[in-house]
Amino acid sequence: MALSIGIAGCSLVACERIKAHHENGAASSQSSTVKASKIRTLTIGAYTTPREPYGKAILPAFQRLWQEKHGETLKFEESYLGSGAQSRAIVGGFEADVAALSLEADIKKIAQAGLITNDWKANPTKGMVTRSVVVIGVRPGNPKAIHDWTDLTKPGYKVLTPNVRTSGGAMWNILAIWGAAQRGKAGVAAGDANAAVTLLSGIIKNVQIMDKGARESMLTFENGIGDAIITYENEVLVAKKSGKPYEYVVPTATILIENPVAVVDKYAARHQAQEVAVAFVEFLATKPAQEAFANFGYRPVNPEVQKATSGQFPPINDLFTIADLGGWDEVGKTVFGPAGAYEKATAAAGKSK
Amino acid sequence: MNALVSSFLRNSLWPNRISRNSLSTALSPAVQRGRGGLALRWVALVYVGLLVVLPLTALVAKGLGVGTHGIVQALSAPAASAALWLTVWTAALMSVINAVMGTFTAWLLVRHDFPGRRIVSALVDLPLAIPTLVAGMMIVVLLGPQSAIGGYCSRHGFDIVFATPGIVLALLFINLPMVVRAVEPVMRELDPAEQEAAHTLGASDVRIYFQILLPPLLPAIATGTLQSFARALAEFGSIVVVSGNIPFRTLTSPVYIFGEVESGASDTAAAVSLVLLALASALLLAVRGLERFLAAYKRT
Repeated sequence: MALSIGIAGCSLVACERIKAHHENGAASSQSSTVKASKIRTLTIGAYTTPREPYGKAILPAFQRLWQEKHGETLKFEESYLGSGAQSRAIVGGFEADVAALSLEADIKKIAQAGLITNDWKANPTKGMVTRSVVVIGVRPGNPKAIHDWTDLTKPGYKVLTPNVRTSGGAMWNILAIWGAAQRGKAGVAAGDANAAVTLLSGIIKNVQIMDKGARESMLTFENGIGDAIITYENEVLVAKKSGKPYEYVVPTATILIENPVAVVDKYAARHQAQEVAVAFVEFLATKPAQEAFANFGYRPVNPEVQKATSGQFPPINDLFTIADLGGWDEVGKTVFGPAGAYEKATAAAGKSK
Repeated sequence: MNALVSSFLRNSLWPNRISRNSLSTALSPAVQRGRGGLALRWVALVYVGLLVVLPLTALVAKGLGVGTHGIVQALSAPAASAALWLTVWTAALMSVINAVMGTFTAWLLVRHDFPGRRIVSALVDLPLAIPTLVAGMMIVVLLGPQSAIGGYCSRHGFDIVFATPGIVLALLFINLPMVVRAVEPVMRELDPAEQEAAHTLGASDVRIYFQILLPPLLPAIATGTLQSFARALAEFGSIVVVSGNIPFRTLTSPVYIFGEVESGASDTAAAVSLVLLALASALLLAVRGLERFLAAYKRT
């Protein structure tokens, strides 16, 4: 069921692509005759989970701000897809002015395609707008007594995590487990690569469904499937906010997720949307936007908002970053490469079943 | 697909040649010889060419462009070969069940008149009209872990949905009409007198079944079965919903290809697609051969 939404999402993108094209075409032909067009369109290609903070709070706030400052009506075209899929879509011709993705590697793919030419990391938050951590979502009251990564390997436990081929969230999940094991904080010796693969394969063996993206995975969990879901902290918090009775446990060691945003300047230039796109990305780091993100369960990057909201988020015993694991290029080989830990672990999990 | 195109070429470009194809014999000689007829044939030829041959060529070129080494490498990825094997065996299992049950269903529709026969006949075609994604969702709703039946089975250690039984079930559903509709017309033409004669001569029911009834039906059963097998190899919409899509366990080739495309590994995707395409083409060629055999059988 969750997947049907993913696929509906795809067709939506196709529609949006056509619509955006028409509107931008219309806007540009207008601007050649009348100097400034009254309606501007900003196309945003995002990953699945920030749909609520963007749609419900941040986009309307920026719309008002832009109207006040420039007297122009701003319209948004939004598309939400798994981070990897969204990155592919943008490279493949979905003309998003702003890319808001789950992980840096996906922004890099767009940059490598020559569509982002600006130095998108040259700002105080290094191109990142939100933070989160990988947690384990459980049923109300935690009936299966799940407290750490090793609990997910217990026989008969059913776990959800999305497909690493399409979902950035899935990559963060795998890295959280793998990193925790490598650091000696998940019941195995530090630096023991084989033990890390064994832990990973033990968990993968219990995975029941690999959905297309983090949101689809959460919807599957909401449909009552699975005992635990490995996901972003903000996904559980946003579900709780909408009245769903979920709880989450923070493992002893987990990874700090940082989500980047960048102006896709090649497309933005084509739509004469550069100015508004840059302003939008700057707005995302400001207090009102950061508070909105925090309100929907994201850990903020703005230090002031960080301090004000620190009580909302449980502390983490051992929090590590992607840099601690050697960076995206490194884990692209050691974890997700053809002979990487993830491939080994899925193969081992497949054989033992 | 190739057989279709080649027979089309043969039958359409050389109108004077006597063709056995039922379509061209059905046309009046005037239409066949006239200039208008020739133009029409070319229009259709270009249409099929643009629609089928062109994209097919592009895929084959892309797949072969990877190089034999690349193809072997793509297929030797354990997850890829596991997905291919899962796809083939689930399709094969479905085909066997479909062959048996489809023949029974055709038998029911042809030889028995019962109230509601027309409704049953219409129901058989329904899976063709329902989007396969919706078919998958129906199975999840009915047999998923949250349903009464699925929940009961799951508690007793037998998962239907998000496991291989769900894949076979979805394939059976979408392929329901294939064998039924292939067998039905042949069965309708069978002369009940043969059966009655055998019966009068004292043959047992089992013997009548295997020696009188089954032989003329076999080519039609095989045609329907192979067609459903080919269709099953390519099924995506329902599988992606009913299966858990876990590599080595419940990930089929079409869903694997989708993942490869999504993660930018278009070479691997093309290589695996090429294998599926070759399998499906071989099957369709076999279907073509069977149809000819069937036509020859009818004439005798």
